[in-house]
Amino acid sequence: MSPQAPLSLGAAPPRTMPGAGLLAISALAGAVLLAWPIVFQGSFLVYIATLVMQFSIGACSLQLIIRTGHISMSHQAFVGIGGYTSVILVMKAGWAWHFALLAAIAAPALAGAVIGPILLRLTGKYFVLVTFLFGEIVRLVFIDWQSMTGGSNGIFEIPKPYPWMNDPTAYYYVSLGFAVACVGFCIRLMRSEIGRAIDAMREGPNLTECAGVPVFRIKVVMFIIACGLSGVMGSLNAHMNNVITPGNYGPMESLNLVVMNVLGGMTNMAGAIIGAVFLIALPELLRGYVEWQRVFYGIILIVVMASMPGGMVELLARLRSRLTGREAHLASAVAAEGRT
Amino acid sequence: MSFTDLLTPVLMGQVLLDGMSISSIYILIALGFTLLFGIMRVVNFAHGEFAMLGGWGLYYLYGQFNVPFLLAVPLAGAIVAVCSLVFEQFVFRFFYQKMFQSMIGLLGLSTAMIYTAVIIWDAYERQIPPAFTSTLEFGESIFGESLLLPTDRVVVFLVSMATLAAFYFLIMHTRMGLGMRAAAQDVEVAEAMGIRTRTVYRQAFLLAIFMTAVAGALYGQIYFLSYELGSQPLLKAFIVVILGGMGSIPGAALGGVILGMSETFLATLFGAAVSNFVSFGVVILILIIRPWGLLGKPE
Repeated sequence: MSPQAPLSLGAAPPRTMPGAGLLAISALAGAVLLAWPIVFQGSFLVYIATLVMQFSIGACSLQLIIRTGHISMSHQAFVGIGGYTSVILVMKAGWAWHFALLAAIAAPALAGAVIGPILLRLTGKYFVLVTFLFGEIVRLVFIDWQSMTGGSNGIFEIPKPYPWMNDPTAYYYVSLGFAVACVGFCIRLMRSEIGRAIDAMREGPNLTECAGVPVFRIKVVMFIIACGLSGVMGSLNAHMNNVITPGNYGPMESLNLVVMNVLGGMTNMAGAIIGAVFLIALPELLRGYVEWQRVFYGIILIVVMASMPGGMVELLARLRSRLTGREAHLASAVAAEGRT
Repeated sequence: MSFTDLLTPVLMGQVLLDGMSISSIYILIALGFTLLFGIMRVVNFAHGEFAMLGGWGLYYLYGQFNVPFLLAVPLAGAIVAVCSLVFEQFVFRFFYQKMFQSMIGLLGLSTAMIYTAVIIWDAYERQIPPAFTSTLEFGESIFGESLLLPTDRVVVFLVSMATLAAFYFLIMHTRMGLGMRAAAQDVEVAEAMGIRTRTVYRQAFLLAIFMTAVAGALYGQIYFLSYELGSQPLLKAFIVVILGGMGSIPGAALGGVILGMSETFLATLFGAAVSNFVSFGVVILILIIRPWGLLGKPE
């Protein structure tokens, strides 16, 4: 958000030409992302970056739901539906991956279309609880539907989408392409007319409804879009890991996606990406000390939630206000709710 | 086993007792959860981990130091509750009356506690030695064959019932309970009437953790003891509390009985997978039709 734009309640500013600073940052980021696998050729860092790309898709698509004011604890279940669909179609039905990917988008979107209108009637804590339980149910389905999903052991020896993608560098570029497309789509969506309507209905649902915005319909559509996008992550991730197990798709893993958004700040796609980088890269780099890094992760969560519920975006806003001497505006209704 | 084989009074009696003992554990866990929510508006995702600590307390007191069982259970609960005041001081205090932040912050606490437990006690399952191995027999004159009841299940049921009775007395018949009920209804008005909410919060926290730890100790003895002990009780507490209504104490009792009984009977008749699906499905249905639960109040 450029400093000139009025800092309203988290709503996207009117469409403007991107400033020179923003362009420079994007160009730099693009150059780093393109050069990454060449610089770190064959190293573990390429794998981590690929993971970050995939989780950025998951975190940003989840933010589409969070922005409508619903914190979903079952997003990873939809990622799993996408992953399983893709793997099963490729391995058991012999589909080519690009068709399986389309199915992997359609399947979670369809599931979202069925379950979304039911769940989205709930708000606040009830939505959190019911999606938590829904995520658990989906996990149980993955475990109990043994003939299809291979039970709790999952499915092994998943082939790469195409033979040339056995090369980690190639896989990185494919994931990067999908991540840029999906995240770009999310950002563009939130900066559109619909995006402003969404930000408005999170802050004041009744008022927005009165202004003629079809609140419920938009929520359902966003839920379906988010679920469909999450399928992209599911498919990419499952084919990269060569294995898919139900353990990766439970509510606790969904929480990870929520936390990515929370750490970054929930009203900014950049926040979701920062969160993804932080939560994926840190644990992977500290692999030798799994227990300790989980303990630190927990403590960080506690400290962040206790001291700055608005995440890093709130931190930046506070720093900016400290510098300019203006009062900070809370960027998120969720953060504001926490104050009361 | 076919359906009709199960429908004998003797087997049904045994399943009923199983259901009763497991229900009473669920109620204890859910009461702690609902107490924290009702008074402090905290959604305690770390609830299961306090149950796990209770299990470890019993493991050491009863399994290692040979404290008599009936003394070891409440003692384990009390020790865990008092030690957990540290968490109250450094974690929970910051989340009072902040429902959303508490969910995520306390999930963080849960992760930290689980992995600290792995570091301290490693990841292997342990057994808390059984306290009673005998079975009670009775009812031969009524049913023609005698009803065999494992004594430990009966003891679990009685211990939980005693804890519940003590809890009921504290809440309904003491000044402390009065303060808690007042704070649960309206914190600000309660404060204006001269109730020290800080003290009330601390008392409620102690009570809630005590009940959870006792339940966790009993649960750990029936099943197993490991860092994972907490995940199932938390899920059950969730379901019970949603069923009954968040923050409602009679609701937690009713929800616990419904869940414990239906789970035991369904699991005996159709297997554990079906019983899980049915209980989750029913809860989701209830949430959609009546989000405030069976005995809760709409907001």
